[in-house]
Amino acid sequence: MVKAVTMPKLGQSEETVKIVKWRKQVGDAVAKGEIILEIETDKAVLEVESFFAGTLLKVVAGEGVTVPVQTTVAFIGDPGEAVPDVAPSTTPAATHGPKHESMGPLTRPSPDGHPLPLEREKGLSPLPAERVVPSGGDRVRGSVTSQSSNEGSFQPSASPEVFRISPRALKLAKESAIDPTQIAGTGPGGRIVERDVRDYLEAHGYNRLRITPTAKKLAAREGIDLLSLAGKANGNQITVADIERIVSERPKPLAHIRQIIARRLTESYTHAPHFFVTVSADITEVEALRATLKAQGTAYTVSDFIVKAAAMALEEFPIVNSVSDGEAVRAHSSIDLGLAVALEQGLVVPVIRHANELTLAEIHLRAQDLTARARSGRLMPDEMTCSTFTISNMGMLDVENFTAIINPGESAILAVSSGAKQPVVKNDQVVVRTMMKMTLSSDHRLIDGALAARFLNSIRKHFEEISLWQRLT
Amino acid sequence: MGENMTPVYLQDSRPDFAPFEIDCGTIPAFRYRGSLRSEMAEGRINAAAAIDLLEDMLMIREMEEMIVTVRSGAYEPLAGFNYRGPTHVSIGQEGASVGACSALILKDHITSTHRGHGDSLARGCCAIRGMSIEQLRKRVSHSTATTREELLEQALEEHVYRTIAELFGKEDGYCRGRGGSMHIADFTVGHLGANAIVGGGVPIATGAAMGLRYLHTGGVVCCFAGDGAYCNGVVLESLNWAAQAQFTNEMAGKHPFGVPIIYFVLNNHYAMTGRSDREVMGVSHVAQRAVGFADNRMHAEIINGMDVLATRDAVMRAAQGCRDGLGPYFFDVDTYRYFGHSLSDPRNEYRTRDEEAAWKAVDPILTFQKQLEDCNVLDEQGIAAVVKRVRGRNARAAVRAAQAADPPPADVIKYMYTDTFVDKVPPEFAKVEVLEPLAPIKRVNGEITYRDAIKEAVVEEMLRDSRVIFYGEDVAEYGGAFKLSKGMLEMFGRSRVFNTPISEACICGTAVGAAMIGLRPVVELMYMDFLLMAGDQVGNQASKWHYMSGAQVEVPMVLRVSVGAGKGYGGQHSQTLESTVVHVPGMYVIYPSTAYDAKGLMKSAIRDNNPVMFVESQGLYNEKGPVPDKEYLVPIGVADVKREGSDVTLVAYGPAVPLALKSAERLQAESSVSAEVVDLRTLVPLDLETVLMSVQKTGRCVVISQAVSVGSFTGEVASRVQQEAFDYLDAPVMRVGAKNGIAPQSHVLEAVFYPRVEDILVAVKSIL
Repeated sequence: MVKAVTMPKLGQSEETVKIVKWRKQVGDAVAKGEIILEIETDKAVLEVESFFAGTLLKVVAGEGVTVPVQTTVAFIGDPGEAVPDVAPSTTPAATHGPKHESMGPLTRPSPDGHPLPLEREKGLSPLPAERVVPSGGDRVRGSVTSQSSNEGSFQPSASPEVFRISPRALKLAKESAIDPTQIAGTGPGGRIVERDVRDYLEAHGYNRLRITPTAKKLAAREGIDLLSLAGKANGNQITVADIERIVSERPKPLAHIRQIIARRLTESYTHAPHFFVTVSADITEVEALRATLKAQGTAYTVSDFIVKAAAMALEEFPIVNSVSDGEAVRAHSSIDLGLAVALEQGLVVPVIRHANELTLAEIHLRAQDLTARARSGRLMPDEMTCSTFTISNMGMLDVENFTAIINPGESAILAVSSGAKQPVVKNDQVVVRTMMKMTLSSDHRLIDGALAARFLNSIRKHFEEISLWQRLT
Repeated sequence: MGENMTPVYLQDSRPDFAPFEIDCGTIPAFRYRGSLRSEMAEGRINAAAAIDLLEDMLMIREMEEMIVTVRSGAYEPLAGFNYRGPTHVSIGQEGASVGACSALILKDHITSTHRGHGDSLARGCCAIRGMSIEQLRKRVSHSTATTREELLEQALEEHVYRTIAELFGKEDGYCRGRGGSMHIADFTVGHLGANAIVGGGVPIATGAAMGLRYLHTGGVVCCFAGDGAYCNGVVLESLNWAAQAQFTNEMAGKHPFGVPIIYFVLNNHYAMTGRSDREVMGVSHVAQRAVGFADNRMHAEIINGMDVLATRDAVMRAAQGCRDGLGPYFFDVDTYRYFGHSLSDPRNEYRTRDEEAAWKAVDPILTFQKQLEDCNVLDEQGIAAVVKRVRGRNARAAVRAAQAADPPPADVIKYMYTDTFVDKVPPEFAKVEVLEPLAPIKRVNGEITYRDAIKEAVVEEMLRDSRVIFYGEDVAEYGGAFKLSKGMLEMFGRSRVFNTPISEACICGTAVGAAMIGLRPVVELMYMDFLLMAGDQVGNQASKWHYMSGAQVEVPMVLRVSVGAGKGYGGQHSQTLESTVVHVPGMYVIYPSTAYDAKGLMKSAIRDNNPVMFVESQGLYNEKGPVPDKEYLVPIGVADVKREGSDVTLVAYGPAVPLALKSAERLQAESSVSAEVVDLRTLVPLDLETVLMSVQKTGRCVVISQAVSVGSFTGEVASRVQQEAFDYLDAPVMRVGAKNGIAPQSHVLEAVFYPRVEDILVAVKSIL
């Protein structure tokens, strides 16, 4: 029995997702629950598991394709089973990326419900009919007296961007491991022909380069321009080691998740004017309480306390729980705290919803669950979106102080550093206390320094108020 | 000159307008009044032979009923077997096929039709029954049987098996599954093939008979074809061909001998569904056709085809007449096809059930069974035993055939061409009679013309091998439209060099038949344009029979075609059509450009066992070139670099080669561009390697021919070059040919119609 694999609707917000990679190829055996593909939403890269066991019979939508959720992307069944003929229901590229809602719909529904592109993408306009001069025997516009040549002469467009090179010249350039785009073509229509490559090599002293044959082959395979190496080689001869060095220095594409992080944080850091306020919190008593509670069986983290303290502070300062684009301000109706979790491949921010309504124990359990699932890559998109304030705790990483970049959609983020024993003046006595620095990054468009100071001190106050914790635990 | 008369014949037809009438004579119908009793009494048949007739008719009916039932899954021995293929059954016509074949002997031949299972089975059975014990042993070589009776039975079963295996498309079939029902053939018993082109086999039969006449074998060809075929041009041309006066009058010299062929018209009254009687013909009887072709009406008769003894009698008489040189014979054999054209034909749209019932009432098998009982040859049990024997044998064969191996898919185009050629002429053909030796062709500085080079090649090969014969329109006394064969009639006599009717289809078709029975005809089409008249015989017959027969037969013929471009002869005498022949695989295509190549390739073509189309350019006939005195061959399928160069490759063939060479000289002189000229010489097989080697060197390629570019072979070459040498190309592959139009008469127009040196220069310069 053939089963259709549909693109799961992973969150409330996703209408379309992009297929990043098929982990399984057609013909591969698939176990139930096994990961078959990776997808990318606006927020994250995710893995999709199979609901069925069997063999991957057909992939309807390939890598790089964006498909609406809940459409068929593949079929799983027994080897040899007939697979329904399904066309991939892709969506036009124009509907992705930044949404242009004011531009009106770019698509209209087709009779079978799939969107149809209304017009070709720019740059792919059809060839104007006048360009094709029919050969004799073909129909000729407005004339039946064909005087045309034998070869239907295709007049290349005047577009200067077309890079024209003959297969022979290209082969020589590749074998010589040089970049042919710098060569001036002298063939018909400016095409680069073999003699142009030879002239170019001669003019650039290619023949004086000393290259080991293996190095040349490797450079050709890796697409490295040997002429760019002239003079840079160690010693006079270009060797495999030189090529390998260049290959290793080459930029490589970031992982998809890193690209998303980069995009989002750059957007935030360039749009929101950040400023930073730092306080030191005395966590001596909280640490003692944690030790006691741990002995009793519950291992609360510092973060649990900070989440609760921050949630309380946010209730007091709803403006911090808001967001602005510089023109309007939008207050979030709930207090949903993001908790930055560092993973090997990047950063994810699971969200503790309605943190202000939760008990410390509930916060603890929720944070523990989210963190664990974040580390094993099993968070759902909804669990990583729409936080209203974020806490980034690097306390376990032995840092004295740091600043964080505000999550897009929020106005502030709290950077929590490591606790350290310090001599502190208390009641005019120098005593040893465990102190922890907290730095608030704020969006100056919405939050001024005084507000930031008051808000941050409110967090500190709640955090240090041991009687509060004794009451809550 | 001695006893040998010069074959030159001067006609003396003077005006004589005295009134007179033509008496076309009469055609006897149903003259045979004999019966089994009378035949036995006269000693013309014995009981065993009579039973054989019944058994062979039953074998056909049983096999064809199997085809009918197996299609609906109702044939029990093959339940569930999926038969793909035609269902042209001849049930009802068994008396005609078996009677005719029973009157032939082993050295005779037949040709047959798309409805040819009966003819094929009958020919095989009758031939096998006529075999000696040694011949049977050879036929069933795997057998351990010792008695003739056992060997005979095994040979018969093998015959049914190989027939059904062919219908089922199996490697064990007579044609290795390449032919199937409509192309079944067994050349070992002189079955020259069933033919799926209605009438297509008739010129082949005629050519085979003409060949038997030439070889004096005493053999006869029985040409089975339906009434529908006798409306087809090539069939009527064949009748004319066979009845030519020159075969029997004084022009035939020492061998006035009619073409030994029996045109055996299986007149079942329907073409496919077209009614011969009152619809698609204007004569009441197909037999009347014969009146128009020979003063003796080709001994035409109408025969009762439902009576196996009547058809046997007719063919016995005709075969004897043929062996005595009295052919051709024409029999309009009245018979009936019980089923439709095929199983998808319900028949009731064009004929009545009453008509069918009336014919079934004179069923050839049932009426003959009754005679066998009446003559006490077999009683009811005896007949039942024969039926049982046939049924069992057929079922065993069918089951075995269904289970037999399919041809390996990797061999899908195996047998397209043969790689054999005549290395040594068998001694019986190496002795050649020369009447009046041709004066040696004079060499000036070692050079002769392209025309003389071809002539010298044909003459040398005719001297070497008596199987080589030469014919075409006006090739005899006149020496051909282009005087290429002048003196050849005088040298070899009219049995080897003769004029033909204006009958291009028959010129080609008879060459196929003659080649099938062992001759090596060289035939001429005056203009290549006329090739289209012979489309079926070239494309469907000459090109296909080696493959369709599963390599049972070779068709060693050379078809000379002359291209008339550039003479102001207009659209029907100026075409270069080799690309159309290349597009129908199966025939070699040669187009030489020099005298040297023309001679060497013609000699190779005549010795090769593939059919060869040899294209000649009238524009080159007078071009001289060095041709050695001594014997040489130019191998087929090897291109020749006519000029070396380094900047661009000009690929050409035929008259485009001198054009390319002139262009190369001008490129060198005017632009210092060094052009290499590759002369393909043969299009099939194509020596692409030489072209690729050159393109690899130069990086540029222009493919040139005199043909119009649309659909031209130049496109094939260009496409292969870009496919196989893409990385070596420094520019797109260009083509130069004639304009995509029709050759005009006007000199001014014609001058720009064909490719010129200027066109080549423009093409080359556009890619430099």
